Amino acid sequence: MSSSITESLALEFAPDARTLDTIVSVLAQHGAHAGGAVAEATRREALARYEELPAPGLRPSRGWKHDYAKLRYDGLRWTSDRRTVPTIPFGAAPQGEPDVDRPALQTENAGGLVHVGATLLEAQDAARGDARVTLLSLADAQREHPEIVAAVHGAVVDWRTDKFAALATAFQNCGAFVYVPDGVQLEAPIQLLFANTEAEDEAVFPHVVVVVGKGARATVLERHAGEGEHFICGLVEVHVGEGAELDYAVVQQAGESSRVMFSRGARVAQDAQMRWHLADLGGTLVRTVLDAHLGERGARAEASALFFNTGMQHVDLTSGADHAVGPTESDTVVRSAATGRGQGRYVGNIVIRPRAHGSDASLRDDALLLSKRAHIDSIPALEIAANDVKAFHGATVGSLDEDALFYAGSRGIARNQALRMITLGFFEPVIARFPGEALRDEIRTALDHKIDEATEIDG
Amino acid sequence: MSKAGNPSRGLIARDLRVAVENKEILKGIDLTVEPGRVHALMGPNGSGKSTLAFTLAGHPGYQVLGGSASLDGEDLLELAPDKRAKAGLFLSFQYPAAIPGVSVANFLRTARMAVRPEDLNPAKFRKLVFDKLDTLDMDPAFLGRYVNDGFSGGEKKRLEMLQMAILAPKYAVLDETDSGLDVDALQSVGRSVNALRESEEGKDIGFLVITHYPRILRYVPADVVHVMIDGRIVKSGGPELAEEIERDGYDGVRDEAAAARV
Repeated sequence: MSSSITESLALEFAPDARTLDTIVSVLAQHGAHAGGAVAEATRREALARYEELPAPGLRPSRGWKHDYAKLRYDGLRWTSDRRTVPTIPFGAAPQGEPDVDRPALQTENAGGLVHVGATLLEAQDAARGDARVTLLSLADAQREHPEIVAAVHGAVVDWRTDKFAALATAFQNCGAFVYVPDGVQLEAPIQLLFANTEAEDEAVFPHVVVVVGKGARATVLERHAGEGEHFICGLVEVHVGEGAELDYAVVQQAGESSRVMFSRGARVAQDAQMRWHLADLGGTLVRTVLDAHLGERGARAEASALFFNTGMQHVDLTSGADHAVGPTESDTVVRSAATGRGQGRYVGNIVIRPRAHGSDASLRDDALLLSKRAHIDSIPALEIAANDVKAFHGATVGSLDEDALFYAGSRGIARNQALRMITLGFFEPVIARFPGEALRDEIRTALDHKIDEATEIDG
Repeated sequence: MSKAGNPSRGLIARDLRVAVENKEILKGIDLTVEPGRVHALMGPNGSGKSTLAFTLAGHPGYQVLGGSASLDGEDLLELAPDKRAKAGLFLSFQYPAAIPGVSVANFLRTARMAVRPEDLNPAKFRKLVFDKLDTLDMDPAFLGRYVNDGFSGGEKKRLEMLQMAILAPKYAVLDETDSGLDVDALQSVGRSVNALRESEEGKDIGFLVITHYPRILRYVPADVVHVMIDGRIVKSGGPELAEEIERDGYDGVRDEAAAARV
């Protein structure tokens, strides 16, 4: 179709004002067809903040080689498009065989949305899905449900204090909106797939807004998959209504040369429960922020995260639980491993503010180093300004347990196989908290493949 | 049975000398455990009993200075720990390692498949496991727990016995399996060893029961008793030797040995 922006425009991305001028005019011209969902003034302000803010990250340690100030953006295309396709080209995986290379919208879902790069795919065989759920591109949702969107979009993740959230806001080009009305209880997950192909490297800036109504219950599964050397930098903003429950799982398997930066935040209402689940498996440089704001009594947040850095992979994860009032609860469990020259950093923030009496916060992170050149930093930060609170923190960084390896060996299990078993077992406490056995098995299989790659490389 | 007639049959140590961190602990061990027989190895703390067990199993921290160890003619010292298990050796650990995140069921299946890849049929395996659980009087909920993770002393020893029953080795070394067990747990260990010995696949297992106290031998009667002191087997005899030690302690044997060395 000639209305496709992609055909009329292939914009070279650069994080500067001149590029933003072009983008603003493209979006103004293509209106409803494009995926733009951020006002021009906000984009300009966000770009200014991006330029002002220092590169993120606390004191880089001896082993941390990456410098966010030196990121390069050449060779990336920016677009904002939608395309109608006969059918979503990501078929269901064969039964019982999780397909990690081409993750599918599972046959059982409460609705799904697929982006390839920043292009929204709209299937003619309109996705089945649960009629009670509203699932739209974020740009469409702004037109159809402006008030619901505005109450959350730009209101949960503060791009004014986060350099890459500011970048994602300035250059936003696609996004999704999920609305689960009051009282609706979903069994199957809503799936958001962000795929990339090798055809052309893209700069993708998705914004995801999820609103779960009072007493509702839902699972959202955000997946990243594909090939190529993309730059994916997005925001996820969540509101969990009073007494509602949301499981939000991220399985990030972006191409091994892609850079992936996401700031995700949840605002958790009274007696509501937010559960983040994160598996950062793909990409070469990955930066994830996972926040929960507990601003009403009885709010509870869980965060379960894992990453496994192989080859030259860097993963940088920051979690935050902000106890603004009490009693509120947070429970964070992180497991990370690195092999080859993989590097990682985990920063765990817990803030218990003066009005948060009676709150309970727990933070547990364990890191496993599988090679001499692998490195993981663990940086907990607890700030407690209220009395009568329970706060637990525990962290370990260790190498493989030789006693366990010998023990498994004495049972006939060869060293490589024992190493695989012990490593997978190490991740199990986090995997076990992901929703659904199919998803848990998929993550186990993906980790298993990563162990294969690592042992091939390391010999 | 004429099996004992073959000179290379058995779990055999010959003049085995072993150091740990450059200190010689085993100073020449000669021992032959024949198929289907129970040998007890007794001795005071620090005499080198566990060093022998770990050396036979191939722990990398134990340095063999000389001598040999073989299993039915196969040179154990040349083999990695997993290959020794595949050759038919089983070590019941005094302090089994925990493997968090790995379920007992998964571990048992992986081990059985590694040691005997030929006969794993899921239904049969399941039946085997449940039969053995029953014999050991163990709750099937055990299977879902992580290997030795948060287990009590007694639970750890029962899991060792369960693994031994499922792997059905040719030779089993039980390293202080009785230590830290109350009478009930000890009886359960005894029952499981005896049930295995009475079974078709277990009747030819040769046992080396390493212990400080003779009481386990009430439940698992030994055919031969050896006493180890200061890295040497100083005396061997029949079950009456265990009774002697129970009555007089190790001092009598120690004095005898010292007199003989002069």
